Amino acid sequence: MTTLKVSSYAIFLLSISGIIYALVFNPADWIVYAISIVLIPTFILSLGLILMARVKKEEEDERRNEPFIGY
Amino acid sequence: MNLMANILLNVLIAFLIGSLLYGLQRKVMARIQTRPGPPIIQHLLHTLKFFIKESSFPYTAAMPFYIAIASMLCAIWVSAVIVGPVIEGSLLLFFGIYALQKIVEHNAGSSSGSPYGKLSCVRAVFSAAAEVPLFAVLVIIYLQTQTMVISDIINYQAVNGPLIFTIPLAALMFFVLILSKSPDSPFAITKGKDIVSGYETEHFGVLRGYLMISESIAWYMLLWVFLTVFIGPLGILGYLVGMVAISVLIAFINATTPLLNPNHSIMVQITFAFIGIVGSLVLMMVM
Repeated sequence: MTTLKVSSYAIFLLSISGIIYALVFNPADWIVYAISIVLIPTFILSLGLILMARVKKEEEDERRNEPFIGY
Repeated sequence: MNLMANILLNVLIAFLIGSLLYGLQRKVMARIQTRPGPPIIQHLLHTLKFFIKESSFPYTAAMPFYIAIASMLCAIWVSAVIVGPVIEGSLLLFFGIYALQKIVEHNAGSSSGSPYGKLSCVRAVFSAAAEVPLFAVLVIIYLQTQTMVISDIINYQAVNGPLIFTIPLAALMFFVLILSKSPDSPFAITKGKDIVSGYETEHFGVLRGYLMISESIAWYMLLWVFLTVFIGPLGILGYLVGMVAISVLIAFINATTPLLNPNHSIMVQITFAFIGIVGSLVLMMVM
């Protein structure tokens, strides 16, 4: 979970920096398209991964040992 | 306006209006079925709610493909917004986007490891076989206007009148394509209730919200393309009225028709495609 948290923050910062760069510096059109197609989705995903509720410490074991009912 | 700001604004508008139109559809369907139904804003609230819910990733999921494919769906529809309202580019690009979206449906189903997802994955291939012929509507549009570029098609209609009157069967084909993308449509075999939520069955929390954002953008974009290509140059009010009217009509169809089984769904879609292509060509030769 820590890895997920760290990578989410890293992707969030990267994507927000790219979007702000395109907003402020107005680079060539193809760069803006590339930034939009790649960084808008990663921005939304990373924001979601940061905002999502986490498992409480006391419930973690219960979740992990939940028997997998399978399909 | 700054290009990036323009893209961000259009993506935001597509998401908000798409979500509200989905909510409207559910409301209309409920009223037809004599239920009170959820508020129109419910779909939007659901989408946002999923972002703060606890998420879990199934053991059976093929990581990181399972997450990447959800990102790909979002990237595809952001691209559609760029090709559509932002640059009014080529319809061929839109066709590519739609074809990619079918591949994403297929892979989202297979990456989760769920049997419902896998069934949906197979059905996505089935439905692609029917929906891609429906996209032959582009050929009819090209034969009529001699262009694939949306801005040129708008100009053509400004001079010659809306295409819906000159190639009505092509408009019908595109309408069936839009209908196929509606979640409760008779053709929605990839998300049929018989396979729970299809390829989205194992996408919980954040990922479900993420998929819902992409789907709202997709809904807005399909309606935008239909109105732009078949009705012509419209103002903001024209687009809003058109989108609401099509969504209500589709809600009516959804509420009164059962979900078809995969074979019937494909046969009906292919029949529409056949009638649309042959009928349009005959009409063009006669008129």
